Amino acid sequence: MLLSLSGTNQDAQVSFEAVGDSESGDGGVEHGALLSRLCEAIFEEDGKQLASLKDDVIEAAGADVLIDAVAVSANFYMMTRIADSTGTPLDAGTVEPSAEIRELVGVNTFTSRREAQA
Amino acid sequence: MAAYSTELPIRVDLDEAHTEIAARWAATGSWWSGLERLAIVEEVRRARDSAEIAPWESPSEIAGLVSDGHVLPEAAIDAIWRVTNHPGTLTAEWHASILGRGVHAEAYVELVAVVAQANAVDRFADALNLDRVELPEPSVSEPAKTSGVSLQVTSHWVPTAKIKGPNVLKALSAVPFENESLSLLSSVQYVRLGDLLSDLVSNQNSLSRLQVELIAARTSKLNECFY
Repeated sequence: MLLSLSGTNQDAQVSFEAVGDSESGDGGVEHGALLSRLCEAIFEEDGKQLASLKDDVIEAAGADVLIDAVAVSANFYMMTRIADSTGTPLDAGTVEPSAEIRELVGVNTFTSRREAQA
Repeated sequence: MAAYSTELPIRVDLDEAHTEIAARWAATGSWWSGLERLAIVEEVRRARDSAEIAPWESPSEIAGLVSDGHVLPEAAIDAIWRVTNHPGTLTAEWHASILGRGVHAEAYVELVAVVAQANAVDRFADALNLDRVELPEPSVSEPAKTSGVSLQVTSHWVPTAKIKGPNVLKALSAVPFENESLSLLSSVQYVRLGDLLSDLVSNQNSLSRLQVELIAARTSKLNECFY
């Protein structure tokens, strides 16, 4: 949702390919596919794959970007747990505008969907 | 003292924030003592480092996983493991079952906050092959175990205070100290929460806001979080 709003505010052509998976391109975001793959490797905790991707990010964008990207991804291990553990509902006014995005990204099968919309 | 010893160019504000968060874990909470709060963090680490158990299995029911005389009640330990390893499977019924086993509704909020913070801080260290943040000595004073704010169960499973902002920021409002910790971590690892919706274009350190939101969305999807 904020990716869409941020893109609109910057007149950027953002798509949601890199959110859904890392095989579909950058989605209009610089290094989008690479950052998406980094997120997957952090999630899967595959040491070899993660080491390789960290090298790729440093080579493509620098060590600062690697550290900041890992920090943002790690932050969402906090935010998702807070939302899912407290029954946080979707914010008023976001259900309808984000419906198409949620369908595109493929999150409608999650258990947390039913809880967030309860 | 620095949180991390590494040649990687970790920002000073990020390193200092993780040191401060560890100190806050060791502080006396509203509902849990410093000793108990550090035990929550240690249990998050055990949950992450152990062979994964299925969502429907509880560590308290598996022989050898929970030591006799543990400082935390079994319901709290079961909640810590489930929130850490299977957050996308949580339901209102599960939440009610944890409260039904004796965990106070506001103590649950504080527990969730510490669990969530520990997942963020440790995930950062693990992904960069850093030693996890060292845990300080716990505060020895006892928690007051009283509500400091007026609360109601309305929009969330948990009691919340009337505060402005997105629902995810309201989630921890029963324990203001934990909302401060959330704000501290978010400001160095994501965006300053006050700027969440008001500034959607500024770069965040070395990342563009688009890159930040892509990483946020991709990670949320991997964790199967619909919110």
